[in-house]
Amino acid sequence: MLPIPGPGAAIARARPRASAARDRWMALAFVAPALLIAGFVVVGGIGMSVIQSVGLLPLVGEAEFSLDAYVANGDELLTGLALSLGIATASTVLSCVIGLAAAIIITQGRTTGRVVAALSALTIPIPHLVGAASIGLLIADSGLIPRLFGIPSAVWPDLVGGPWWVAVVLEYTWKESAFVALVVAGVLATRVARYDETAALLGASRARRLRHVVIPLATPAVIVSAIIIFVYTLGSYEVAWLLGRPYPEPLPVLAFRLFTSITLTSRPEAAAVAVVTTLVSLLVVAIGMAMLRRTPLWK
Amino acid sequence: MSASLALDALTKTFDGADHAAVDAVSFSVAPGECLAILGPSGSGKSTVLRSIAGLDVPSSGRILVDGADVAGLAPERRGMAMVFQRPLLFPHLSVLDNVAFAATVAGQSKREARADATQFLELVQLAGFGSRPVTALSGGQEQRVALARALAARPRVLLLDEPFSALDPELRSDMHALLAAIRAQVAPTVVMVTHDRDEAAIVADRVALLKRGRLLQHDVVERLYTRPVSLDVSRLMGGRIELAGVVRDGVHESAIGRVAAPAGETWADGAGVLVVRQEAVQVAAAGASAPEGFVAVDVVVAERRARGPRAELALALTDQAADAPAGSVDGPRLTAEVPASRPLAIGERATALIPRSACTVVAG
Repeated sequence: MLPIPGPGAAIARARPRASAARDRWMALAFVAPALLIAGFVVVGGIGMSVIQSVGLLPLVGEAEFSLDAYVANGDELLTGLALSLGIATASTVLSCVIGLAAAIIITQGRTTGRVVAALSALTIPIPHLVGAASIGLLIADSGLIPRLFGIPSAVWPDLVGGPWWVAVVLEYTWKESAFVALVVAGVLATRVARYDETAALLGASRARRLRHVVIPLATPAVIVSAIIIFVYTLGSYEVAWLLGRPYPEPLPVLAFRLFTSITLTSRPEAAAVAVVTTLVSLLVVAIGMAMLRRTPLWK
Repeated sequence: MSASLALDALTKTFDGADHAAVDAVSFSVAPGECLAILGPSGSGKSTVLRSIAGLDVPSSGRILVDGADVAGLAPERRGMAMVFQRPLLFPHLSVLDNVAFAATVAGQSKREARADATQFLELVQLAGFGSRPVTALSGGQEQRVALARALAARPRVLLLDEPFSALDPELRSDMHALLAAIRAQVAPTVVMVTHDRDEAAIVADRVALLKRGRLLQHDVVERLYTRPVSLDVSRLMGGRIELAGVVRDGVHESAIGRVAAPAGETWADGAGVLVVRQEAVQVAAAGASAPEGFVAVDVVVAERRARGPRAELALALTDQAADAPAGSVDGPRLTAEVPASRPLAIGERATALIPRSACTVVAG
């Protein structure tokens, strides 16, 4: 005859479940303050922008639902979107390529690696605004570098304020490649080093190890870094404003100009630009996360 | 796949270290032989293996593969393959592509590399597992794939760095049997690091015993147990019986009396410690006489410790124990192992029979 479990057994089973539930609530309680603040800023900020962009929070006049703010600057919005996507894509690709190369050099452990690691670490705390001002002073047609080499302004290319936004991309690449280098170097040093040794012992040359082991294993970290960089450069204002040309304007510059405009009706238009920027950013994050989930390492 | 390997005064001192991690270690491994490098933690055994592989650069000494010095050769050009304690299977590749890795990086087409890998998966009894992701394998299966991947590289020397230490005893036995089967089929030269003397005894032809970076003894497994060259070797191999005494005219005199050297061996005169394996000591009824080739010692059971199906007995010499309560005797003792079913209780008198052929004398 099978023993019939008494109430004691049920209590014994219920206890761990109750304890687990209590632990979950405790964890939630601990994280709640941070979650509330972050939620207030993110949801509140986006919510306010959406409400303002559809005419429900006008500075003057009656609140009335309308999509006028989205079409008022239609051409500028589209041009700005294309420009912002171009700058963000170029900055992200260059930062990831240079950052990955720097990370590989750092993890070799030689003197060059230590120098690159120190340079990357030094770059991180310098604000973008200071970086942008420095880049401007260095590579403008009247900057330090053309003067140092005695190159006349007429010959020097329009790197600052030019049609290709070179100085803007250069500033983002300088700063963000250091970020990629440190993030990826951390992954390579802790998670990839032993795989690299194993591959070497299986006869893989340095180039083959890079192709077959190091890059595939570093890919998730690179994708995460790329998402962060893309979203940041898409929404960043000061570098494009300082080193770019007055027209066309990237989305953040357009949004800021409209927001500070003396025309009171342009405030919803600024909010519309901000909402478009946010939507594009969210779309990029979604694509990036989908790519991340497709990597074998994530699975 | 089978090359000879020789180490000549291999020394490795890490930056900032007071003493060498590996100190003038020399030994050789014949083609197709399996050598176990045995030693406690920190003895330098993994450093020896990493130096052979080219992952650590020796401070001095030579590493010869088929007589050629491999100094300065990058790990990928040494023709070694290594299996670590962790399987380190590439997580972005399937099981088959892991095994095909060496062929792939050597420039073979994917189809050829996979066809080649299939036979090695069969060799480790994992046929049909090729398409699985490595995350779908158990610990034992992962280590089998790691072994197949290393063998598929057709290494001149296969290096194993405690490859089975993370597995449970049953899986370990399976892996030992698998390694024996692989050796029978493809006869690779194997150097395996382990801290487990039982494992070394099971898988290796010869053992190099290290302590604090120095090679204590390099010999066949049986001789490490029965003919240790020093007290350190005896203790590291688990020897429990040490009887201090003096050798005069080839006869050792100690608390158990006079023991002559086994036939064909000579012991140098002077102070020396007689060591004998506890497994060789037989326990007979009190007053039993010594058969030919045995030394009989009257003893009393001082301690009894359970060892699963066996029991380990600490035996005090009777003349010392006569006036002392059981379990309180100092001085030399014998140790013996008996089946757990033998009813030898503490305080019981018995006769220990020590085979002369199992005795050896080492410096104190």
